[in-house]
Amino acid sequence: MESQIHSLHQQLVKKEISCVDLVKGKLALLKSNTHNTVNSLLENTALELATKVDKKIASGETIGLLEGIPFGIKDVYMVEGTYTTASSDLLKNYKSAYTATAIQKLLDAGAIPLVKENCDSFGHGSSSENTIFGAVKNAHNPELVGGGSSGGSAVNVAKDFTIFSIGGDTGGSVRQPAGYNAIYGLKPTYGRISRYGLMAYASSTDCVGPIAKSIEDIRIVLNTMSGKDVKDQTSYASAEIEAPSILNADNIKTIGYFKNFIESEAIDETIKNDFLSTIEKIKAKGIKVKALDFFKSDTLVSTYYTLAMAETASNLSRLDGTNYGDRIEADNLKESYSVTRSEKFSEETKRRIVGGNQVLSQGFSDAIYLKGLALRDQISQNFENDFNEVDIIISPVTPSVPPKIGDSLKDPLAMYLSDAYTVGFSLGQLPTLTVPQGTETGLQITAAKDNDELVLKFANFLKDTI
Amino acid sequence: MSKIMTVDILSSIKGAEPSEAVSQLFDVIKNAHTSNDNTFNTSSINAVSVNNLRDDIVIESSTTEKAIIKENFPREKKGYLVVSKVIEE
Repeated sequence: MESQIHSLHQQLVKKEISCVDLVKGKLALLKSNTHNTVNSLLENTALELATKVDKKIASGETIGLLEGIPFGIKDVYMVEGTYTTASSDLLKNYKSAYTATAIQKLLDAGAIPLVKENCDSFGHGSSSENTIFGAVKNAHNPELVGGGSSGGSAVNVAKDFTIFSIGGDTGGSVRQPAGYNAIYGLKPTYGRISRYGLMAYASSTDCVGPIAKSIEDIRIVLNTMSGKDVKDQTSYASAEIEAPSILNADNIKTIGYFKNFIESEAIDETIKNDFLSTIEKIKAKGIKVKALDFFKSDTLVSTYYTLAMAETASNLSRLDGTNYGDRIEADNLKESYSVTRSEKFSEETKRRIVGGNQVLSQGFSDAIYLKGLALRDQISQNFENDFNEVDIIISPVTPSVPPKIGDSLKDPLAMYLSDAYTVGFSLGQLPTLTVPQGTETGLQITAAKDNDELVLKFANFLKDTI
Repeated sequence: MSKIMTVDILSSIKGAEPSEAVSQLFDVIKNAHTSNDNTFNTSSINAVSVNNLRDDIVIESSTTEKAIIKENFPREKKGYLVVSKVIEE
């Protein structure tokens, strides 16, 4: 069973490497990297924690599996005392006053935070170019985007700068960069991991998501972060996923795929052919494959963005430079809000806030926002029906290969439409994992709500099958 | 009292204007077909039961938390947050 966490744990326990050397090595890689993945390094904290781990090992104490394992954090998570910028100009000097629940659980397990990672500002983007820290460059071809919005996190894992990273996925922001950089990225079932301390983009689809190089590492990190949290009322208690339980996929008899995703004119011919070839390999293993009907891509994208913009307009209304963030002084308080937000938000963030306020305003809300909510209900109902017929749904992650740096910002509509295959599963709040197989940008594996275990099971099956 | 508010006022963003790309997304929603079947409603699924609400108690912030909150003040005078002049309309 492949696992970078298990392997490093063994090396630490056997004293083949020291934790300080491990952390120093990763910090050196992060410092010298030219992929623009780093917003700030947590060097002093990381080295202090590593020294403690080494002392513990030296004194013969047992260490936990995650103890001493270096990881990265997308710069939208609160970690007390660290800069938490959301890659934005407005919050470039903002320090977290508290720590997010998901991150605190990893710290409690002994994992060592190394870096706050570059991303699209407030999660607004699919390429990690909408950032004040420079466009994130793809791990495998620096002329291409790193994907987004959790681009820095995905590139750090792909380049082995971190062992795992914690991204955030609202409409595909973990799964798409994982696909673009050929690694694993999970959007768990909505609510499985507490959102407390994750800077809110669209609260009804925001998910904390682990990014790693193996399925086993995804499982370990997912288990550590999961659980009910009184500070996030949408979180729920879930059973731990045991390692042996994801090794055998014999109970997966039928899978499905959305035929309109594959028949779409927008899909790259190679991605389409590779996907269909994967389907044939799965069939050859005796699994039944059903072609399913689904909503048109433009309906999915429009529904997602309508609701996400409405939610982000509300969530970001608190950012006005009054209590925190950069403020531009003006003649009076209202003018100060207006000028600060105009100067300090990026063009993409302003586009989404304005769009959100449009759909929430009188005269628009019935025709667009409420209709968007009704469409979302229908999409969720569609998934409920599908999972009565199939155990798993597989899809490509993206219709196209990663664009060149600079191309996405020129055409926002094209960028929105590039999220066509990821946003539906966000609206359905379903567990979905990107695996680095099947097409050039990977495959998504989706199961019914709270069936994250089945997703990991099928991922292990695919790993051995294709 | 009815007053037309422009998007720059609604958004508190000076000079903000609607975007053509976003309008195209909204047009898709306007033209989409929705069924009248209201049996499935995600908003009710996500609702939190009254019995499941967290206790309504005040939790004191730590000294560090209070210090960082003050450190984040854009303008500060003698430990107090300074804001621009508030006008009444």
